[in-house]
Amino acid sequence: MTKPQQTTPGRDIEFSGVGVTFHSGDRDVVAVTDVTQHIPDRTFVSIVGPSGCGKSTLLSVVAGLQRPTTGEVRIGGEPVRGPNRQVGLVFQEDSTLPWRTVTDNVRFALQMAGVSRAEQRDRAADAIELVGLSGFEQAFPHALSGGMRQRVALARTLAAQPSVVLMDEPFAALDQQTRLLLGGEVVRIWSQTHQTVLFITHDISEAILLSQQVWVMSYRPGTIIDVIDVDLPDDRDPGIVSTPAFNALQNRVWESLRAESMRGFAQETGSGGVGR
Amino acid sequence: MTAALDSASPARRTRRRSSDATVSAIATAGLLVALVVVLQVGAAAKWWSSAILPAPTAVARSAWDLLATGQFWSDVGRTSFEIIMSLIIGLGLGLLLALGFWKAPYIGRVLEPYLMAFYAVPLVLFYPVMMVLVGINAWSVIVLASIMALIPMAVNCWVGLAGIPPVYLRLARSVRCTPLQTLWRIALPAAAPFIMAGLRLGTVYALIGAIAMEFTTAQAGMGYRIRYLYEYYSTVQMYAYIVVVLIVSMILTGALVAAERSLLSRRGNR
Repeated sequence: MTKPQQTTPGRDIEFSGVGVTFHSGDRDVVAVTDVTQHIPDRTFVSIVGPSGCGKSTLLSVVAGLQRPTTGEVRIGGEPVRGPNRQVGLVFQEDSTLPWRTVTDNVRFALQMAGVSRAEQRDRAADAIELVGLSGFEQAFPHALSGGMRQRVALARTLAAQPSVVLMDEPFAALDQQTRLLLGGEVVRIWSQTHQTVLFITHDISEAILLSQQVWVMSYRPGTIIDVIDVDLPDDRDPGIVSTPAFNALQNRVWESLRAESMRGFAQETGSGGVGR
Repeated sequence: MTAALDSASPARRTRRRSSDATVSAIATAGLLVALVVVLQVGAAAKWWSSAILPAPTAVARSAWDLLATGQFWSDVGRTSFEIIMSLIIGLGLGLLLALGFWKAPYIGRVLEPYLMAFYAVPLVLFYPVMMVLVGINAWSVIVLASIMALIPMAVNCWVGLAGIPPVYLRLARSVRCTPLQTLWRIALPAAAPFIMAGLRLGTVYALIGAIAMEFTTAQAGMGYRIRYLYEYYSTVQMYAYIVVVLIVSMILTGALVAAERSLLSRRGNR
């Protein structure tokens, strides 16, 4: 059942001097500055950072939805110039289309790409099984829970067989139990498909649970201030969160992140001196 | 105990709800029957002059006879032509206008006050102007009825399009939808509940517009015929025409309401 996904090799992502500046009114806001990093192919990387640090902006650059002001991103050696069907995107908001059934939602990208009907059906069925939604093919999104709708969105992305998957806080709106469960599912799916994944989150344990590498992003202007390798086994399950190794990693990430979170908090509230 | 209650309650609730619906449907129909009976009895007992309010049976007989006259069908043809043309022109232009406003929000902001102001204007006022411009024919009716249908259609479609969750459009961009795919596969279905409401309101407005305009000055059509019969004291025939117009408009709006409901329930909006 997982054959189709395995046929697409992951590709590496190269960031060189990426910066994004927004103009709001007559002042410039530097959202992202000078990100130079490399994600090897078939690697799962998470970016953690305080809210408003430009994580999502950086992801939009990789997705080709946002042009960088400086530098560039290369996927498999090719510079990103716009949205690319080889790059799959999972959004934070509920992006299931309420007028389509689960199957029709999952085959959406394939239909837009002009894939034959028979292949749309096969690939949608495989993706639905992969995310554990068998039996709900003909359901409409309103009949599903928030967690199940995110599974539909994930299946839609996987059905397109992208070599790179970008996830923008896909579980942020869900409750803690569902997040943990879906996190475990993502690990399981990734261990079968091995795309290159860039995952955005503000949840440290989620980042460690899923990834092989965690990047810590600073508060505005956002840049990568720390890179932490996660030397846990690839086929981990959510139970790993209670092990000492996991705890040590969590402390390590938190150490990098704490100062940035406080700086961000101080700037947003304008009080200036929290914890300094 | 709790589990048993839980599993029993949804079924019970559905049963009660469906029986409620049956009761209210019967009550609605019953009210109509009661009204007809009162009208019939009142006319027979001469509680009022049958020149003012004839007996329903007389009206029904007259309506039945009308179906065999060429006059009736030519009136129906004229009015149907006007209404169908105003629906095509008014609803079509309304949707196009809304798409334009959505794509060019600046123009939308400039024109919005006019559109909203027109919403409140009794457009029948402009009928004399139309007669001067277009002449006393079907087209002066069609132009005004089209404008009346256009306004609620444009406003509703625009609200629907402007309210599309931005994530749908980002999804469209990320999977490289063509502009036409974005329109047909994302924008129109996402705005469909509002477009349906616009269709329903626009149809009602076109109906009111066409009949009212015929009533005031036209030389043919259902509205014209009703006024004509009124002026010649042909009360029974006048009521027969009124009943036919009522039935046709009820069927038309009923079908649109049903379509709107089925669309909304499929999506779980209501």
